[in-house]
Amino acid sequence: MRFFVLKALTRGVVIDSVRRKDLWVVAILGLLILLSASLLGFFGLDGLQSFVKDLATSVLGIFTTIIAVLVSGRMMPDEIKNRTLYPLLARPISRWELLVGKWLGAVAVTWISFGLLLVTTSLALALFRVPFEPVMLQYILLKMIGLAMLCSVTLLMSLLMTPAGACVMSLILAAGTGMIVRAMTMAFEFASPPVQFLFKVLNGLLPQYGLFDVGDRAANSGWGPAPLWVVGALLGYAAVYSLAMLVLSWARFRRQAI
Amino acid sequence: MAKSIPWIPLLALIGAALAGMGAHRLQEPLRPATEVAGLNAHETHAGATLLGQFRTNISAWLWLRTDRYLHNGVEMRPLTDQELAAGQMGVGTSDNHEKDLHDDSAMRTVVPSQSEDFRGWMGDVERATSTYKDMTNHGHNSPKTALPLFRLMTWLDPHFIRGWTTGSAAIGWGRVPGSEVKMMAYLKEGLEKNPQSVAIHMELGSVKVRRQRDFRGAIPDFAAAIRYGGPNLEKLGPDDQEALQDAFRWKTLCHREIGDYEGKVASAKAGLQLFPEDSLLMRLLHESPLKTVPGQKTPDRVEIPEEEEEHH
Repeated sequence: MRFFVLKALTRGVVIDSVRRKDLWVVAILGLLILLSASLLGFFGLDGLQSFVKDLATSVLGIFTTIIAVLVSGRMMPDEIKNRTLYPLLARPISRWELLVGKWLGAVAVTWISFGLLLVTTSLALALFRVPFEPVMLQYILLKMIGLAMLCSVTLLMSLLMTPAGACVMSLILAAGTGMIVRAMTMAFEFASPPVQFLFKVLNGLLPQYGLFDVGDRAANSGWGPAPLWVVGALLGYAAVYSLAMLVLSWARFRRQAI
Repeated sequence: MAKSIPWIPLLALIGAALAGMGAHRLQEPLRPATEVAGLNAHETHAGATLLGQFRTNISAWLWLRTDRYLHNGVEMRPLTDQELAAGQMGVGTSDNHEKDLHDDSAMRTVVPSQSEDFRGWMGDVERATSTYKDMTNHGHNSPKTALPLFRLMTWLDPHFIRGWTTGSAAIGWGRVPGSEVKMMAYLKEGLEKNPQSVAIHMELGSVKVRRQRDFRGAIPDFAAAIRYGGPNLEKLGPDDQEALQDAFRWKTLCHREIGDYEGKVASAKAGLQLFPEDSLLMRLLHESPLKTVPGQKTPDRVEIPEEEEEHH
């Protein structure tokens, strides 16, 4: 895998996103955050700090998830549909490099959007003098890792189904995995051994985005950052899971008739 | 000429206008002043627990958030029917006098403890990244911090009865002198929006009794709760049913405290018609007329508790 190839592909995705005015959408979303925050001020913020921080991290999480899914879900189908994939593949670029480069591009666009929304949210919070604790830095780091994993899952989906289907499926997984896992933990004790085995397999297969969200710790007072081993474990998990998604994407893409 | 008049659209418009004029009549059956049991955020069915945060009503969402802030971010859930059937217990609380705000005797954390979690290291990671801690006999944050949320949820949905009744309890937290006036003002605002609410009438009366010892002044509030709730007992949600039962109890006690023996007996009998197994009403009914002398103390007299008067 060649670095300059990945760099060029990543840059291409970012430029394409700017050309499509995706980042304008992010800016409008940011403006909405500020407007909503000013509406909250109507009720007075004494005692509402936790709620405001909670709302801020929730909004950040929802918007960046949507952006990550939309960006990474349409990249490959658009390249195929617009026939811009042919000139790319005519160059000395392997399909694996193409996929990894595209994924890195989607991750870069998502991170830029996350950064922009973060700045807007921080401005809104600063307006109301709502302070964040150092755990917020960990929130940002883990959120970025989780978003990278989300991009890899959506990329695989986009090679298996239509762009709309890929986006919907990926959003369902992003929103529903937490609920499914919660249901399994509640039902595990009362389930039969075969079903318990199924729960374990399902738990391993599902992308556990929720583990990367320390927003609740950032929003409520008195919760410190998670221990370092947890950050390490999550980094390892995201790396292995994303790699698995990329390998599966490659396995599908290399057999795909274009 | 007659053909040029668009009769069909005209008649449709007139029909729509007539239907619109009569639509207000539907308001009462469609939006009763009593709480609908199905909107109760603390249902015990596992499905309801899972989907709790996807309630269509943003006030219900705020309600759920409020519960989290009381627990400093730790997410709690009611025990499922299966867990209850298996004899499992909730985490319990160290401050039982806050039952007006919520009851933790059948609640546990959403994130399971290590011993109850099959997920191995993933469970450990979740416990480390989420707001999880062992909540056995836990305490609570002051609900005062959530007061703006109650204001927000009742502004968004003035018919969210729990927002009014629990908000009032939050205002009265700590028994700060003068808080009862604010509690009553808040509840009266709730009554303006929900004039037939059993729970709000009952709560207003109980504030007058518990905080001001205004037995005579509270009777009309309990009577109103009974008037609106009594004929609709079957339609009431669990909260309103409990409020109605409490209204009968308080009203009976109030009559006794002001020396109105006939009123006490009539109230107790009316209450027993709807709640025949209510032992407190039964005891009050069988107290002798002598015991209705205001302030008189006798060994078998039903007393109004001083500290735990929230749930007598």
